Amino acid sequence: MKINLKIKRFNPETDKKPHWETYAVEVEPTDRVLDALHDVKWNQDGTLALRRSCAHGVCGSDAMRINGRNMLACKVLIQNIAKDGDTITVEPILGLPVVKDLIVDMEPFFAHYRAVMPYLVNNDPLPANGRERLQSPADRERYDDTTKCILCAACTTSCPSFWARGEYVGPAAIVQAHRFIFDSRDQAAQQRLEILSAQDGVWRCRTAFNCTEACPRGIQVTKAIGEVKEALRTGVIR
Amino acid sequence: MFTPLITTARESLRYRGSGHVLWLLHRVTGLGVVIFLGTHIFGMSMATFNPPLHEAMLAVYKTPLFSVGEIVLAACLIFHAVNGTRIAILELRPALWDKQAVATRWSVIITLILLAPTIAVMAFKSISYYVTHGLK
Repeated sequence: MKINLKIKRFNPETDKKPHWETYAVEVEPTDRVLDALHDVKWNQDGTLALRRSCAHGVCGSDAMRINGRNMLACKVLIQNIAKDGDTITVEPILGLPVVKDLIVDMEPFFAHYRAVMPYLVNNDPLPANGRERLQSPADRERYDDTTKCILCAACTTSCPSFWARGEYVGPAAIVQAHRFIFDSRDQAAQQRLEILSAQDGVWRCRTAFNCTEACPRGIQVTKAIGEVKEALRTGVIR
Repeated sequence: MFTPLITTARESLRYRGSGHVLWLLHRVTGLGVVIFLGTHIFGMSMATFNPPLHEAMLAVYKTPLFSVGEIVLAACLIFHAVNGTRIAILELRPALWDKQAVATRWSVIITLILLAPTIAVMAFKSISYYVTHGLK
């Protein structure tokens, strides 16, 4: 089948503002949007800049806005979003500075990630056998959903609150905080909750649910944010 | 701030997502109600500070354009109240958040159920008024 790929292009060295360019691409219905982008870059216009690594939905490098919604280009099949002759729009995720074409500067996103202490804090001595700190299957299950995050930024950059205010920590950072706040082995939940109850913490969430829809890993992002809000409201972590 | 206000407003209209539409409507209806409230407070205060202006404003309110505006205002209020209730319930009960798609549908259905008789009554009263008093 033949599709048109309408891509938002921006080269900071030559362009004052972004512009759209359209490429006709021959694809299989079962190809992914990433395959179509590869076709453009490898066979039509080598100047197209995009970021991707594993190309199998694990590394989270190729989050972009496809047909108006944040997705991973490597996880979206052409047949699920277009018919023969259709045009697919592709643009960079919003809210982070565009470096070139579909590549954004992820540093502000990672700064928010680092701000919530995304690591296990436990100051108790190691178990007698010197091996891992054990927890029950039920305790592990409590935060299982939020361990799936691949830091692709699809959720954070789909959030209207983040577009309006980049200082907002954003859904991905809250998901990371949730992963440790509800971990029975962790001892820094209160510190994380204090960070998230600040002006640019969880209370900026307006429950638009864009993050949940955008997550390529199917994480219930808005629910996780809600659970952090509940922990702050009640003072109980359960 | 990474994105200017205009970009945020424009992209809010361009983004595609089922929850996003309701979020956008909630914002727009909230803004509409706030603008009405400001106008209303200003108009009522003029009854004390500038009675002729108050009378003039009341006359403007009794025109077809503002009658339609009243119906739009009622629609804004009803949607904002129903959708706001949905958001409040979900905020307080994160366990229900996997049912948000159902909750979203019910927000729209309840809004329409409340809106239909409201529009009928308001439109009937407005038409009756203009039949009796004529258009000015």
